Amino acid sequence: MAELLEAYPGAQRALFRNYHIGGCASCGFRPDETLAEVCLRNDGLDPEQVFESVRRAWEQDERMMISPGEVKGLLEADGVEILDIRTREEYDAVHVEGAQFLDQALMQQMLAARPKDDLLVILDHDGSRSLDAAAFFAGHGFTNIKCLRGGIDAWSVQVDPNLPRYTLE
Amino acid sequence: MSDDLEARVQAAVQDPQNLGEMSGADAVGTVGSENCGDMLRMWVKFREENGRKIIDRATFQAFGCQTAIAVASVATELIRGKTPAEAMAMSGEELASPLGKLPPMKIHCAQLVEGALRSALAGEEAPQTALAPTLLEQLAPRKNVKIKLQS
Repeated sequence: MAELLEAYPGAQRALFRNYHIGGCASCGFRPDETLAEVCLRNDGLDPEQVFESVRRAWEQDERMMISPGEVKGLLEADGVEILDIRTREEYDAVHVEGAQFLDQALMQQMLAARPKDDLLVILDHDGSRSLDAAAFFAGHGFTNIKCLRGGIDAWSVQVDPNLPRYTLE
Repeated sequence: MSDDLEARVQAAVQDPQNLGEMSGADAVGTVGSENCGDMLRMWVKFREENGRKIIDRATFQAFGCQTAIAVASVATELIRGKTPAEAMAMSGEELASPLGKLPPMKIHCAQLVEGALRSALAGEEAPQTALAPTLLEQLAPRKNVKIKLQS
C-alpha cells in the first residue's frame, strides 16, 4: 500500500471516496499490506476494479475543484457553505466572510445531521489539503462537496484583494 | 450497508447515548490519538451491587467514523450492569449487536470500540496497529506554525 500511495498521490482519497477505506483508524490499512489483502478484508472487493478507481483518482479530484469566482457567485446567491479547515490561528487572522471554521464538533455534527446533498466548499490556505478533507466527506456520503482551487490565497488574488495574503513559517 | 443497518447507524449517530467526557470516572481507555483527530476514548464508572463490582455507566468521545460512534453508543448501553470480566469477554460483534450484523467492511469500527473498552477495563493500552496515515490524520491542523501577513 505504501508503494501504491507513493505512485498515485490521490490513491487514499479514491479509496475512501469509493470504498470507505483509509479514512480513519477504523478503516485504515497498514503500509505493508498489499492492495489484494486490503480488498480481501473489505468485503472481498475486486482488486482490479479498486486499482482502476485509484488510477483514475485525478479525474475525480479534478471534478471536485471549484474556482474562487464560481464560489463568489454561489455565495452571493446564498447557495453554498464554506468550511475552513485551516488552523484556528489562521482563521482568526484572515477568513472569508461567512466561512465556518471546521473543528471536530462541527465535523461530527455535519457527519451526523447534515443533508448529504448540500453544496459545501472546503477552503484551506493554498489548495494543497482541501482535497483530502473533501474526500473524507465524500466517503461519508456527501455528494456535492467541492474544494476551493488555490485556497484562500487564490481568493485574495482573484476575488477580494482586501483580504491579506500570508505565508506560514 | 443494508438500509436497516444504515438507518440504525444513522439513528444512533443522530442521538448518541452516553456521549461525552465523564468526570470522576474510575477507568479511561483510548484507541488512536487525539492529536491526529482520529480517536475513540471511553470512560467507565463502577459501583458495587450484591458484593460485585459492576459497570454503573460508561461514556465515550469519538472522532472519525460514524459507525464507530454508533457502535460506541449502543455498546455503552449494553455493558451497563455487567461486571468488568463480563464486559471484557464481549467481542466487537457482540458490542455492536443492537445495530444488527455489520458488513465485513465495518467490523473495524466495532473493533475500535472493543479496543477502547478493553483499554479502560484492563488498564492496558490497546494494541496499536501501525497504520498508513489516514485521511483524518492528514486533516489535523499543523502545529507551531507562524502566520506572516504580506503587506
